[in-house]
Amino acid sequence: MSEGRSRTPRVCIVGGGIVGLFSAYHLLRAGGGPVVVLDRGFLSAGASGRNGGGVRQQWETRVTVRLMREAVGEWRRFGREFGTNVWFRQGGYLFLAANAAERTRLRQVVEAVRAEGLDGRVLDPSQVPKFAPSLSLDGVAGGTFLRTDGTLYPFPAIWGVYEAVRALGGEVRLGVEVTGVRTQDGRVVGVQTNAGPVDAPVVVNAAGGWSSDVSRLAGLSVPNVASRHEILATEPLKPFLDPMVIRLSDGMYFSQTMRGEVVGGLTVPHPSGTRAGMPTSPDFLRAMSRSLVRLVPRLAPVGVLRAWSGFYDDTPDGFPVIGEDPRLPGFVHANGFGGHGFMLSPASSKRVAKAAMGEPTDLDPALFSPGRFLDPNRRTAPESLQPG
Amino acid sequence: MAPEPPPLEAPGSSGTILGSLLTRSTRYHRPRAPFCGVGYCTNCLVRVDGVPNVRACRTPIPPTAKVEVENAWPSARFDLLAAFDIAFPKGIDTLHGFRRPAFATPWFQRVVRRLAGTGTIPSPASAGLVRPGRAVEAKTAVIGAGAAGRACAERLVAAGDPPVLLEREPGLAPVPGAEMFSGTTAVFLPPPQDGRAHRFELIASRSDGSAISVRADRVVVAVGGYDASLWFAGSDRPGVLTAEGAERLSTPASPRFAHAVVFGGGKRALEILERFDGKVDAVVAPGTIAPELARRASELDVPLYPRTLLLGAVGRRRVEKVRLARRGGEAPPFEVEADAIVLAHRRLPHPQLFFQAGARTFWRPDVGAYGPVVGAGGATTVPGLYAAGEVAGAPEMEDARRSGGAVADALVGAVPWSAPVAAGPSEAHHELEGYYQELLSVGPGPGKVVVCPCEDVLLPELLDATDRGYRGIEVIKRYTGVGTGLCQGRYCLPEALLVLAQRERRPVPEVGYITQRPPVVPTALGALAGLPESEGSAP
Repeated sequence: MSEGRSRTPRVCIVGGGIVGLFSAYHLLRAGGGPVVVLDRGFLSAGASGRNGGGVRQQWETRVTVRLMREAVGEWRRFGREFGTNVWFRQGGYLFLAANAAERTRLRQVVEAVRAEGLDGRVLDPSQVPKFAPSLSLDGVAGGTFLRTDGTLYPFPAIWGVYEAVRALGGEVRLGVEVTGVRTQDGRVVGVQTNAGPVDAPVVVNAAGGWSSDVSRLAGLSVPNVASRHEILATEPLKPFLDPMVIRLSDGMYFSQTMRGEVVGGLTVPHPSGTRAGMPTSPDFLRAMSRSLVRLVPRLAPVGVLRAWSGFYDDTPDGFPVIGEDPRLPGFVHANGFGGHGFMLSPASSKRVAKAAMGEPTDLDPALFSPGRFLDPNRRTAPESLQPG
Repeated sequence: MAPEPPPLEAPGSSGTILGSLLTRSTRYHRPRAPFCGVGYCTNCLVRVDGVPNVRACRTPIPPTAKVEVENAWPSARFDLLAAFDIAFPKGIDTLHGFRRPAFATPWFQRVVRRLAGTGTIPSPASAGLVRPGRAVEAKTAVIGAGAAGRACAERLVAAGDPPVLLEREPGLAPVPGAEMFSGTTAVFLPPPQDGRAHRFELIASRSDGSAISVRADRVVVAVGGYDASLWFAGSDRPGVLTAEGAERLSTPASPRFAHAVVFGGGKRALEILERFDGKVDAVVAPGTIAPELARRASELDVPLYPRTLLLGAVGRRRVEKVRLARRGGEAPPFEVEADAIVLAHRRLPHPQLFFQAGARTFWRPDVGAYGPVVGAGGATTVPGLYAAGEVAGAPEMEDARRSGGAVADALVGAVPWSAPVAAGPSEAHHELEGYYQELLSVGPGPGKVVVCPCEDVLLPELLDATDRGYRGIEVIKRYTGVGTGLCQGRYCLPEALLVLAQRERRPVPEVGYITQRPPVVPTALGALAGLPESEGSAP
């Protein structure tokens, strides 16, 4: 743990979630170290330890499909590369439409998916039970299915990458909170923390829901908004459901984990920002239970074991923010992943590492760069398929 | 899909059922028989009329009901899948194993998925069982009708300020003048919100399968406590019971044991000794033995083993012998014959509602548990939230009554709310101080130490996590799964905290406490779906 301390890090990553850790891993692999990762909490305290474990390639924009397809390949290899088993199970994602408009929207998703060479399918209501026999078809007007989407168990991914980072000589400092971003002559020179200053010519903001707070510490205004989303888990049952199911109309999603729990969520409105912490609410428990029982009536007597919440880091156009901030050289963004940072992390972190090393990436700056929000004339189609 | 579960060997009323082996554990299919008797553990889960995971110890089961064993094939007594227990004496490492060869992973996933989970999905007959619940409004809600809650409610009634009273047990005597909901468990108490007609809105689940919403200006939590578990080899074996498990499950009509070893050196052990006069063969205590207990044991001719480690329960299908070792590490371990182990060494207060409501809590070294910071008149750090009885540090009946009365006085009187201050450092120590340190250095074994019986997590998994540098209960919970099972951590987290504090060489409060995630007990989706809408904010 101490081997990194004697050297001045080249890159200081703020946020020890999956994005921060994975970026540290790729930096170290590419010789971009020394790297220090700072996190004010414990490992997995934020959204990396609070998400539903979904990995999907069904999106409205082809660029997102492409990146997610790459991520799926990485998740399939993960266990052999990192030594921990994330139990990535490709049971598919089943999107459900409630009306003609939603059906049309999903058909466009399948077009994007198929254009990228994936076997997405449009389903009639009568085909839905083949993929999820326990669902009630009441109010289901059709859907889409992609077999190679899936779910994984997030925690082993964190442990695996964490241990790999440390094995490569990276330093991960937990319980260290960044309180300021230090600049000199208009560029980053390090951060201030509750445990003293850390010098580093490159600072990566991978703080997830708290990323806008960290950007503000650097004097940068960003459009990222933290939104709180809740999830519940039921008592574990023997396997009855293979795919992740998402109902487009209310955004309710659920899957059955390897341990048998039904894990799912639905968004009820909360004030934005990270102030309220991460509790659950009666409104969520009621709304989620209603929605789930309507879709899977047989689950009515099944007990809810626990409920919790976490923060999405939303951007106005639904694309993440990856790259150096043009206003502050040395300050690199790796945030704005909405509710999909975990699933994308094996692919996004490679680009973050490149950006932190000052190398060009293959990402379209109009869609991913931090500078895109500074351009008032920018017109790009957003990625708006955000639920689940 | 898993096969339809086979029928129970001895169906009948829940009393009869509880005398037999009921289920098998998830991973290793180890035999499990009722343990806690109070509806928290997972050892008496059965499928009743197509509904999975019904706790037989708390649910009246009519003789006509179809009762099925859940996690065994062909029966709970003889389960072929128990081969996993024998084939993997050191456990199955699902965190690092099953990663290669790549082509086999879908097959690994199918097998491991089939071993996980408890019951199968409810039958179609239970489809759409949404139970509409009602909203109850009150000035004061008192949670728990034990000594403290009852005293509080009675005094509030007398003062012309009757509360609503919620009680988890069915069939307790009502408090005249107070509206009482029996068989009703408060499962979620969010922090109060100003600007509504009532500041508190709590959710309670009822034994009829509904949930109610209780809106109140003030909440008194008097939910008492429960008897803790203990970690040793075979601590999940049939024949191991908590003290209240023994009290509730071993009745003259269906005795569960005749030669018990009681573990504990204090008042709770004495209660068990008195109650099961003639059926207790030895008293084993982690520390010294209280004088009254020692006196009574010698009158009854029951041998005493003070300052002794409980290393293991010996016996394949149930407890046959108990392996012990004197503390201090000099003498070799020895065995005594017994058919049961009754754990009566410590009682823990239920802290969940205080965590949920955002009240400040602190580590109480005297009981070895977290409890709310409580000031005069039972006030917690959350205005309007009060603690009485065992949760407020008054476990004895008389003290509990007094503490309940004091809260009522504060509520009806002109005593203004004042923020309590945390108690200073205490010299008192709970009974297990230093215990696990010695247990781990002597080594429990032979046999598996199942630290989380709900998910079959083993002690070496926990120790491996700390060896790899993972620290703190929050991370260890996510790394091992301890605390994430159906008992919601009641029987593993208190022990995990003590073991981790020792392993990490730091005090328990630095090891932390996992966030108490609602609900307090598993609550049916159909009950939550039937909750009335929340009270809107006042305009």
